[in-house]
Amino acid sequence: MRRSLTRYLVRRGLQSLVLLWLATLIGFTVYQLAPGGPLQFLDDDPKRTAADYNRLAELYGLERPLLVRYLAWFAGEDWFAALPGGQDLQSGQCRADATRCSRGVIRLDFGRSLHFKGMRVIDLIAERIPATFLLGFSSLVISAVVGIPAGIYAALNRGKLPDHIIRVATVLVNTVPEWWIGLLLLIILGGYLGLVPLGGMETIGDGSLLDRLHHLILPALVSAISGWISTSRIIRFEMLEVLNQDYVRTARAKGLRERLVILRHVLPNAILPFVTGLSGILLLFLSGSILFEVVFSWPGMGRLAVLAINSRDYPVMMGLFVISAALGIIGVLMVDVLYGFVDPRVKYEA
Amino acid sequence: MDKSLGRLFTLISVPRAVWGVALALALVGAAWAVPVAAEGTPVAEPTATPVVTPEASQPSVDESEAAKAPASLQGITVVSDEDVTTPRTKRGGEYKDVATSDAVSFHPYLTTDTASGSYQAMVYAGGLLRLDEKTLQYIPNMVESYSISEDGLTFTFKLREGIKWSDGQPLTAHDFKWTYDQVTNPANEFPYLSQLDFISSYEALDDYTLQIKIKQVYCPSLGQMAGLITPLPKHVWENLPWSDPERNPEINKPSVVSGPYRLVDWRRDQYAVFEANENYWYHGAPNISRYVIEIVPDQDVAYQKLKTGESDTGPITPENLEEARQLPNITVYEWWPAASVWSYVGLNMRPGFPTHNIHVRYGLNYAVDKDLLTEQVMLGQAKRLCSIYPDTSWVYNPDVPCYDYDPERAIDEFIQAGYHVQDGLIVDDEGKPLRLKLIFGPNTSKTRELIAVTLQDYWRRIGIEVEIQAMEWATYLEAVSAQEPDWDVYIGAWQSTIEPHIMYTIWAEENIPDLNAVAYVNKEVERLYAEAGSNCDPEFRRERYQQIQRIIAEESPYIFLFYNKSWSGQNNRVKGIIPTALGIGWNSEDWYIEQAPSP
Repeated sequence: MRRSLTRYLVRRGLQSLVLLWLATLIGFTVYQLAPGGPLQFLDDDPKRTAADYNRLAELYGLERPLLVRYLAWFAGEDWFAALPGGQDLQSGQCRADATRCSRGVIRLDFGRSLHFKGMRVIDLIAERIPATFLLGFSSLVISAVVGIPAGIYAALNRGKLPDHIIRVATVLVNTVPEWWIGLLLLIILGGYLGLVPLGGMETIGDGSLLDRLHHLILPALVSAISGWISTSRIIRFEMLEVLNQDYVRTARAKGLRERLVILRHVLPNAILPFVTGLSGILLLFLSGSILFEVVFSWPGMGRLAVLAINSRDYPVMMGLFVISAALGIIGVLMVDVLYGFVDPRVKYEA
Repeated sequence: MDKSLGRLFTLISVPRAVWGVALALALVGAAWAVPVAAEGTPVAEPTATPVVTPEASQPSVDESEAAKAPASLQGITVVSDEDVTTPRTKRGGEYKDVATSDAVSFHPYLTTDTASGSYQAMVYAGGLLRLDEKTLQYIPNMVESYSISEDGLTFTFKLREGIKWSDGQPLTAHDFKWTYDQVTNPANEFPYLSQLDFISSYEALDDYTLQIKIKQVYCPSLGQMAGLITPLPKHVWENLPWSDPERNPEINKPSVVSGPYRLVDWRRDQYAVFEANENYWYHGAPNISRYVIEIVPDQDVAYQKLKTGESDTGPITPENLEEARQLPNITVYEWWPAASVWSYVGLNMRPGFPTHNIHVRYGLNYAVDKDLLTEQVMLGQAKRLCSIYPDTSWVYNPDVPCYDYDPERAIDEFIQAGYHVQDGLIVDDEGKPLRLKLIFGPNTSKTRELIAVTLQDYWRRIGIEVEIQAMEWATYLEAVSAQEPDWDVYIGAWQSTIEPHIMYTIWAEENIPDLNAVAYVNKEVERLYAEAGSNCDPEFRRERYQQIQRIIAEESPYIFLFYNKSWSGQNNRVKGIIPTALGIGWNSEDWYIEQAPSP
């Protein structure tokens, strides 16, 4: 089993890399298709002339063909100089100062931001990752802590009042956009009642654990809504299915106490699909939710993405894209592996 | 803070305080750009050719109201007797600001956005000259005197001695010269390099004398030079890469500064903290000791913070203005800015479009009640304008056609243009109804949406179908300045400057389709601008700009709508705020926090 697992991992890893590469190709093309460009901030600015615009476009290498720009982004532009006529394919900045040449994402250089005037993309993202991960993991924990008991409780009381209440509540909450709930709660709890801060991650000049928790609580609860709704639904559905299985009837028939039947026989089987669903939820949380981060002034990757998209900052957009894509692929892979531990029937075949 | 460039774009780079307003306007008006506006009075009959049609009932310009014309610019010496050393006395306290977008960088020559501009103005003093808040004339700022040669080509600035960097080093003409040299290096990414084209040489004659020579007489040059170069500390920056934040830490964390504040801490998209710079040259450290800017992504949240007192200022949208005025803890300061944002409807003048015909443009113009639109959309927070400069400008011309609402006249114009009225619709010779495509952006702007549907309604009333397309900002910009646009009409806005000459760019043929998106071509206008730019006699210039206003109003490339009032909500504990045509930021260093009476 161990050898087959290793071979399985290698095969899936290679597949994932190819997938990632294809994703960057598509992502890069699609981003460039959007109207505007990184110099659009000059578009309606009468203080600049066409010459200024062209000079900057040349410096940043924006006028090069799409393929050349992709190549520079993917494999770097420093080696262009070795090709005949390759210097013309380099950006003006790279020609003037070799340290400004892109080294390409394959050498783990995500390039430099245009909007943030030469900041390294990787630094910008690294700055944001802790905030996004903190919010993501908190939401994940809340989803599980709220969602699993709710699902179990609803299933055990199927057709009774608590089940109806939980179902109606989930449908209600689910039909309203969560960011809107967030904004509403923010204005009521923060604006009128003053119970929670109006967004942000910490009070300026404070930053103690308590202060951070105070800032975290509302965004984490609200962004966990979709998580606990889907969790409780999955758990309820699976519980009901498992409860009708013969082995549960057998367990009951042999006089096992109901509590033990649920814990030993029902729950482990019902929780399997939750593990599968986990990949989606994990991806959702870790890549940063644009809407929640904007509503709660949360300084994570989602906020960065908004800035990057609005300013057509291709390197930052691509950096975030690659990271979310990689997180997604790793998430799926992780779940597949975890599944084997949870369900002994699953075999890895190379 | 910044005494010059900042003042030029008042709304924008004046300090943090006004920033909220600038943002509110950004939503209304959009990005920042140029020009100026004029107020409307019932006027002359429009004619196809620029002929003056004097009207009897013309109110004359009130000279005392209009800003004064600048002095002539040849063979003068101006010496300042201003005291700049008496320290301020009401020091202490913290000012909490809130903004909806964060700065990009502290590098003054890489950024163009308003947030970065205001951050930079906190830490770097620029401005050889500054605008006087009463006369709107340039007066000596960091210089104790300046003189202009007889031929108008050589400008000599004598810097004040005793201006220091925050590390105690003297700030000299060499800092200016060094910075100028870096900025003019084409590899150094300065977006507005062409703005320096009029200069032929820029030299430091000694530690305190700067000499700038220009290629030919250019009237806005003194104002252009006033804030052209914000010096960076040569002794710190000299050995650092100019534009690489990875190897030049000064770019994002300036340690040696010249402005009223120094940067203490900056967390992107979270907050920035500044502390008073004790070495600030203008009367020493500002009154307010600590200045904190918090970033929130949402205007409503920012406004809540103002209301709850979590911040001392915050953006107030036009809809919130009335409520804000009633808040017990807030004072709303209001002013008509000398450099305002004005809104217009651009009409596509290219052949092949219905609006190519001047009578169609007149018809569309007459069909819209601009007074009512201004009132309904801007809730009294804007004044109507009829041509390209507002009544706050020293070149304002009240004597231009204004196209007051007259739907019958509108239909007459369409008939003159060769259209017919059939079943209540405007149709062409083949009986095809006239349809127009109107675009606007950003699609999140409530104001622009309101303008769009109001126009649609007015034009539908006289029988024209209008298809509205709302666009995301970048898409809109690209559509407006497309090489071959597919729109007939778009809604836009310009940020005006106090110097009237600069808006020349939006009427120049060479700037089609970029800034001159409607494709307006008039050689007479271009000639008048050239004249007004090269003969610096104020009366001569005023006359040219007034002719330009009339010609453009008569040709109606735009339907001129209104220019905006500005306002800023401040917590009552902040004192010393005096609104002028320059806004409230001009004296922000003198603002102070009222200390709570000790128990």
